[in-house]
Amino acid sequence: MTAGAFISLLQGAGMTLFISGAGIVLGVPLGLVLALVRWGRVPVLGKIVAVYVSLLRSVPAVTLILLIFFAVPTIGPEIGPITAAIVMLTLNTAAFNCEIWRAGLNNFPADQLEASRAFGMTPLLRFRRIIFPQLWRSSLPPLINEMTMLIKSSPAIAVVGVVEITRAATRIGAQTYDPLPPMIVATVLYVLVIMLFVGLQRITERRYGQIGAEA
Amino acid sequence: MSSMKSTLSRSILAAAFAAVVGVALSSSLAGAATLAEIKARGYMVVATEDDYKPFEFMEDGKPTGFDNELLAEFRKTSPVEIRQQVIPWTGLLAGVSTGKYDVAVTAAMITKERVKSLDFSMPIADSTHFYVKRKSDDSIKDIKDLDGKTVGVQSGSAQLEKLPELEAMLAKTGGKLGKVVQYTSYPEAYQDLALKRVDYVINTIINIRSLVKDKPEVFELGQAVSSRTVPGWAVQKGNSELLALINDFLAEQKKNGNLAKLQEKWLGQSFPDLPDSYEP
Repeated sequence: MTAGAFISLLQGAGMTLFISGAGIVLGVPLGLVLALVRWGRVPVLGKIVAVYVSLLRSVPAVTLILLIFFAVPTIGPEIGPITAAIVMLTLNTAAFNCEIWRAGLNNFPADQLEASRAFGMTPLLRFRRIIFPQLWRSSLPPLINEMTMLIKSSPAIAVVGVVEITRAATRIGAQTYDPLPPMIVATVLYVLVIMLFVGLQRITERRYGQIGAEA
Repeated sequence: MSSMKSTLSRSILAAAFAAVVGVALSSSLAGAATLAEIKARGYMVVATEDDYKPFEFMEDGKPTGFDNELLAEFRKTSPVEIRQQVIPWTGLLAGVSTGKYDVAVTAAMITKERVKSLDFSMPIADSTHFYVKRKSDDSIKDIKDLDGKTVGVQSGSAQLEKLPELEAMLAKTGGKLGKVVQYTSYPEAYQDLALKRVDYVINTIINIRSLVKDKPEVFELGQAVSSRTVPGWAVQKGNSELLALINDFLAEQKKNGNLAKLQEKWLGQSFPDLPDSYEP
């Protein structure tokens, strides 16, 4: 493998990190909003979220991005490949994140909620001071798990012309007719990216403590 | 294993395309830009592939190959700016038929199936199909030896559409077509051929010659397994002004000898007897 090929793979890794990072930054809070809508039993909206989640969880990433990239411009605005990729990953991961957040909310101790009500806390204050600080700690491991799944579903975006790690490796293999070396480098790059996320999880847990640790 | 994966991803893609095409058809807004619309917006979007050596491939992140050099010439004469998208084969023709891209600047085989949804330029090369085998495999010496052996082809490809021709050839000697394994792109098929998961792979003479030139110790060129097949660039069905612009450009390249020069450089030989139009 030439130095140029190696640089293309690193650029691919940069693209994977950027697109996945954007999907995570947008998808994690969006999932929380969706979960709160369902948990709070908001009329109509709650049902819509339930349908959204079942729909998005059943559509493969490749199908979803082809739909967004080719079909959206025929009925709405023009959409570029990178935008389509970020929108796809965000919509997809938000559905899974919604279920993670919702599980955390459903398991939240009812006595704490009753106590905060007895103290006259407003719903917003209750969420900010009582629910959220415990919720994110307990949801962190499954959220990180979902993030790693998102990174591994990201090669689907190559179909619309976004060059991430796997596509960069495929291109090099197609040029040299020797796909093994670039695929091995690609595998190493994925392992490094995933290790980065798991490392962040460890640091966060150590710094802020697991739920109940400080009690 | 790989054939299972390929079948699975194929059915997913088929579902995706059905959905995409459904939405596209249901909308009256769908459709590629006409030449007048392209001139009004000031640019044309062309799509090339990224793993189709020697026609289009990437060298250190930059597009190169036969079609890319031809495209560079087209940029000089085109009345509007040309924006290039480099995408995998999977979404390319669908992108042209839904109007996402104006022109497919790739060596797409002109087939009966494809002319239903696309209009093709004049042929840019001759790419009759040949088979390639492992050099170490002594059991294949002639077409009749392909009887019952496993073949690898690209899914949704012209090569796949032309398999009945090989089937007919085999039938003459009492043989029959073996198991067909479909791949999303050729590099994977060649890899599986080297790994003995398939016994031969069918592709155009040009692609196979390029492969055998790069890996002479692994692969060996076989014989022709189809009638004459030619590739061209594609536009959406009925986009005749844009097609005329492209055909004028290609005719000029043919006349000034540049097309033959590029064929010589990238495809290993020139094709002086190409027709000016081709009906599959």
